[in-house]
Amino acid sequence: MPSNADAPEAGASDAARNLTQSGREAPGTKQTLRDFGRLIAELWWRFFDWLAVVSWKTLGLIYFLGLILAAMLNRPNPFLLFVVGSAIIKIVAGGKRRADLLAGQATQRADAEQLERAVLEARMEALQAQIEPHFLFNTLGSIDQLIQTDPPRASRMQQSLIRYLRSAMPQLRDGSRPTLGQQVELSRAYLEIMAMRMEERLQWTVNVPEGLKSAVFPSMMLQTLVENAIRHGLEPRATGGKVDIGAEIAHGQLVVSVLDDGVGFLPKSDAGVGLANIRERLKALYKDRAELVITVPPTGGTCATIKLPYEIAPAAT
Amino acid sequence: MTAQPAPAALVVDDERLMREQIIGRLKRAWPELVIVGEAGNGREALAMAQSLAPDIVFLDINMPEMDGLKTARALAGRVHIVFVTAYDQHAIRAFEHGAVDYLVKPVEPERLGVTCQRLRERLQRKPDAMGELLEQLSQRLGKAGDKTHDYLHWIQASVGANIRMIPTSDILFFRAEDKYTRVQTAGFEALIRKPIKELLDELDPDEFWQIHRATVVRVDAIAQVSRNLSGKQVVHLKGSDERLEVSRSFNHLFKQM
Repeated sequence: MPSNADAPEAGASDAARNLTQSGREAPGTKQTLRDFGRLIAELWWRFFDWLAVVSWKTLGLIYFLGLILAAMLNRPNPFLLFVVGSAIIKIVAGGKRRADLLAGQATQRADAEQLERAVLEARMEALQAQIEPHFLFNTLGSIDQLIQTDPPRASRMQQSLIRYLRSAMPQLRDGSRPTLGQQVELSRAYLEIMAMRMEERLQWTVNVPEGLKSAVFPSMMLQTLVENAIRHGLEPRATGGKVDIGAEIAHGQLVVSVLDDGVGFLPKSDAGVGLANIRERLKALYKDRAELVITVPPTGGTCATIKLPYEIAPAAT
Repeated sequence: MTAQPAPAALVVDDERLMREQIIGRLKRAWPELVIVGEAGNGREALAMAQSLAPDIVFLDINMPEMDGLKTARALAGRVHIVFVTAYDQHAIRAFEHGAVDYLVKPVEPERLGVTCQRLRERLQRKPDAMGELLEQLSQRLGKAGDKTHDYLHWIQASVGANIRMIPTSDILFFRAEDKYTRVQTAGFEALIRKPIKELLDELDPDEFWQIHRATVVRVDAIAQVSRNLSGKQVVHLKGSDERLEVSRSFNHLFKQM
């Protein structure tokens, strides 16, 4: 694209100013000259761009037509000047200019790809944000029971459920980039509920430094890991177990982990859509600068870790 | 005495609050029913069913250790079972055509009243063996899990003191190297002890292809196949510059369409 694409517009506004200044003659003439100069420059750059991208085949055809014209007019000199001049320009400067133009197109394509990725990510986020009907109905059932036997606890559980729903429902979020702090609060509300339901079968801790709570962290990823830890790690075992959420900065990256001491992963157990979804989303958001790592710690159980670039969310206004 | 002995019931659910809820509502809906015990998982339930010999078992489907289905299989024909489930379309569809009753959590008192009425009638007969229903339930609740259950989804590789679980979908290829097998992903490599031969038995043959005595590649990671100067097929990968040679006996994999 011509680097001075806005020139005609500027020229037009200049011309308008010219009209209002028509009373005074001297600046008017100067203005007209300046406009004329701009027009020449604009035409020159258009010619230059065209010369840079036109194929040699087309150029040869034009030379041939020019040759016929020159022969008809019997004026070989300007024609030769045009041929030699344009060929030199194309050889010397055309390559760079052409690269610039192609780079511009590539940038546009990249923008389109970025947009595609953003759409994909939004779709997958919505998928991940689905609230388990099981969880909802079981929790409501527990609240129902507690209302009769232990109203203060019922109230606490209901408040946790409200906090959970407020941050888990995508349509209730405020649209700003989610922070680790918000995501931890969401999982905290979930763990409070599960601990009241599972009682002594679930212990949990959250160890996230205050300073990291403003870090950007994609929504629902931590929650998926916590749900996995409970469903696949603790629930299958009668004695339950422990879930620990931790966060730290290591090698300039934000590292968020969910550790459980449950029954652990089997190599043949289905990976589940949740983890695959996190991987896909991380790829869409950060390309290869983020990863999800699953390890089996020496103590048994499962440790799921998300590593991604550390970035502080812009303060909400 | 003409009165029959009061019917006895066992309530099985992994959450205490849920058990309390059912017991509380049963007391109101059916005051004569005696709750002889509560169990928090399938194993406990079986032991209690042995020792307490209840007439009726209220059985949660989703439980640790031994789930409701397995428990039901062990109890079938000996007691009357009422399944209790949280919202679950799959399970509910299986019940719709059967004679076996089910309750959806949270249990509504009116619905529980209907169940108790049915139970009074059912107690006159022998407990149902439920063969067909259990078959259907395990099919519906088994999801696609059974089909893919036999293949590896994760490769365990030691990284420092930890064992890292690498999803097979991240792996570009496996390659035999001396005593070890190299696992290569786009980001890193790891060595495992399992030989290629054993891996081949456990990997999904639609996901991974052997292209050489020493090489197994993930099909989706193949970018293209070309021929090198000596005419051998060479596999190019997405996310790695490494080229993998295809030995002659596997050439048929990449025959032109």
